[in-house]
Amino acid sequence: MTMNDIIVKTITRIVLPFAQLYGVFVILNGHISPGGGFAGGAILGTTLILYTLVFGRKKGSKKFSHRASEIAESGGIMLFILIGLIGLMLGGSFLTNLDAGFPAGELGSILSGGMIPLLMIAIGIKVTSTMINLFNLLIDEGVHS
Amino acid sequence: MTILQDVVDNINYIGAIAVFLIGLRIVVVHSNMIKRIMGLNIMGTGVFLFFVSIGNVTGGMAPIVDPNAPGVTYINPLPSVMILTGIVVVVSVTVYSLSLVIRIFETYGTIDQEELSQMARRNHHNDR
Amino acid sequence: MIVEHLPILNLILFMSMALVIPLLRRQPFKITLILGFIVLGLVSVSSIYLLYHVNQFDAIHYTLGGHDTRFGIELLVDPFSALFTTIIVLLASIIYVYSSGDRTEGIEPNEYGRYYVLLFVLLMSLFGVLYTNDLFNTYVFIEILSITTCALISIKRKREAYSSAFRYVMMNELGSLSYLFGVALLYMATGITNISLIGQALQTAYETYPFNVVIALTFMMIGLGIKAAIFPFHVWLPDAHSSAPSTSSSLLSAIVIKVYVLVLIKILFRVFNVEILLDLNMRTVLLVVAGIGMIMGSVFAIAQQDVKRMLGYSSVAQIGYILLGIGLLSWEGLRASFFHILSHGLMKTALFLSAGEIIYYKRTRRVNDFDGIGFIMPVAMSVFSIAALGMIGLPFTSGFISKLYLGTALLDGRQVVFLGVLIVSSLLNVMYYLPIIILAFLKNEKYQYRLTSIERAPSTMIGPLVLLGLLIVLLGVMPQPIMQLIDAAVHTLIP
Repeated sequence: MTMNDIIVKTITRIVLPFAQLYGVFVILNGHISPGGGFAGGAILGTTLILYTLVFGRKKGSKKFSHRASEIAESGGIMLFILIGLIGLMLGGSFLTNLDAGFPAGELGSILSGGMIPLLMIAIGIKVTSTMINLFNLLIDEGVHS
Repeated sequence: MTILQDVVDNINYIGAIAVFLIGLRIVVVHSNMIKRIMGLNIMGTGVFLFFVSIGNVTGGMAPIVDPNAPGVTYINPLPSVMILTGIVVVVSVTVYSLSLVIRIFETYGTIDQEELSQMARRNHHNDR
Repeated sequence: MIVEHLPILNLILFMSMALVIPLLRRQPFKITLILGFIVLGLVSVSSIYLLYHVNQFDAIHYTLGGHDTRFGIELLVDPFSALFTTIIVLLASIIYVYSSGDRTEGIEPNEYGRYYVLLFVLLMSLFGVLYTNDLFNTYVFIEILSITTCALISIKRKREAYSSAFRYVMMNELGSLSYLFGVALLYMATGITNISLIGQALQTAYETYPFNVVIALTFMMIGLGIKAAIFPFHVWLPDAHSSAPSTSSSLLSAIVIKVYVLVLIKILFRVFNVEILLDLNMRTVLLVVAGIGMIMGSVFAIAQQDVKRMLGYSSVAQIGYILLGIGLLSWEGLRASFFHILSHGLMKTALFLSAGEIIYYKRTRRVNDFDGIGFIMPVAMSVFSIAALGMIGLPFTSGFISKLYLGTALLDGRQVVFLGVLIVSSLLNVMYYLPIIILAFLKNEKYQYRLTSIERAPSTMIGPLVLLGLLIVLLGVMPQPIMQLIDAAVHTLIP
């Protein structure tokens, strides 16, 4: 399942890095602007889906293997839980943010909001891998079995 | 005139309920599985629209605190946040049911639920 | 204080277990099984300790992130949620031990890992639904619950499993969206989603926006009714529960549909209150729906040839019993239905697991093929018989006690008509359970030559069955210790 169209291939090659960079931007700016882990993760995941659509399943899984996406899926939630547990360890309840001693930073700058940027990264990893996993699942469902 | 005014004032709720009912009709009436999944999505959109529009404040801004502009009214962010979760849930349900439809198509060769139940009835008959 | 953190730690333990399983795929499968057992053991201990703690001292209010309860998520562990989480984790451990011996039933070897991932996510969402004190959070956990249950049904690579799973998904989604619509209407009227706060604000909201509140109640009841297979919405249940693997069927029938009923109880008694429900004449509605369900479920069950479908329809009737107790809207009624939730959980688990063992070794699901099976598989069939007699309501089983409490509650509420319905439904139960027992133990000509053959099942399968049989009898002989805990739970709902 590949597209043998030179225009699509070339444009995908050009657009992909920018789209991915934008996804990362949306994830990292989640706490000070609209967007966040889910939206950015969806953008990143869509770029991977686009790659798989244009260059085929084999090349796609070379870029982001099944094993890697499995680890990213589990790891994203694990990271989220671990960050939450830090709040619990420091004397607050699960997911306690500023009260547990996370630095507040300056209002409006990237390094602000305590642990929220970290949580956004965790969610971003999880959503990216979930998007590509769901897509691969639907493709594989149609191929064998 | 007052009825018209009521309709105009509550257009968001009326629209949301209309979308909900359209989706419900598709789920109940159609027997094509893909269409039913679409109906479910439309229904979900209706509920989400309803939920989000509760949180709207006329003239409100997106709730991101800007240190340079104090005293701005913000809309209620809670419904939007909740609905983000709801959207994720409906996406996962859609993917799951679509993958089921693929499997059903591979085993039975149809995605029409009526044909499917006829087939099942025939099989049942043969078993006896 | 560590006690306060126990509920969230329970949820995290289940979640991490589900996350670790895919990473352990290269290792031998035994490691996963043992790890799962350790997790279940830890959670059992902490649930029992929580149950002790909330009954001795005070309920635990735990807010995630330390936010105000008006905005944040609150977990509430009181005698009600602590009791039912303990029951769930103990039943689930029994089923887990059984499933470690019966992994092969209809599930392909490379799907074992996935089965256990789903099992632990399912347990996490069950705990979450009971612990959370927030309507929207309940919706999220309910959705996790319904997706995992659907996946547990369709994990068996068999033809009919797919179509019944699809029907289940559709019905369940309709239910979830109706529930969410109800939450939206309540949020519109009150501006909060915390259950305790809405409960306080609802009396005024009911006076100012009666329309909103009534429609919200209707939508939530229909939504949860679909999910709990309350009578007119039960169509998906027999298909779904009979095509799933036996261990999943017992989980679904014994635990999952009960949890939806528990959410319904929470909404009826905590969000709304008895006065509003009486004002809307909900007592009659609930009682009539429950009565019809009790009769029709049993009537459908009589007509079934497939033993698992029969058990599925029997669940529909038993949900009717539970709803009957709730519908009385009284202290005694709620007490009876709580006891029945526990006793039906035990009996249905025993029935599905013993039927599962018989199906696995005899490769038949037809009721008529059960002739003389009591001689070939004495343990499985004895447990089946004990549970079936409990369903009928014979003395010295837990079913008798729950019917006794239900009957006295009905008399206290002066609902003599429904006492008649209860008796008729019990007689119908006799009509479909007793023939199986009689055939299995008395009609032995066909298998006379195999009288010496004994059960080949491993002890991990026999042990849980024996334990379930003993528990059913034990609850029937001395229900008092459990009743104290149930009374405390009822007090949190009806003061």
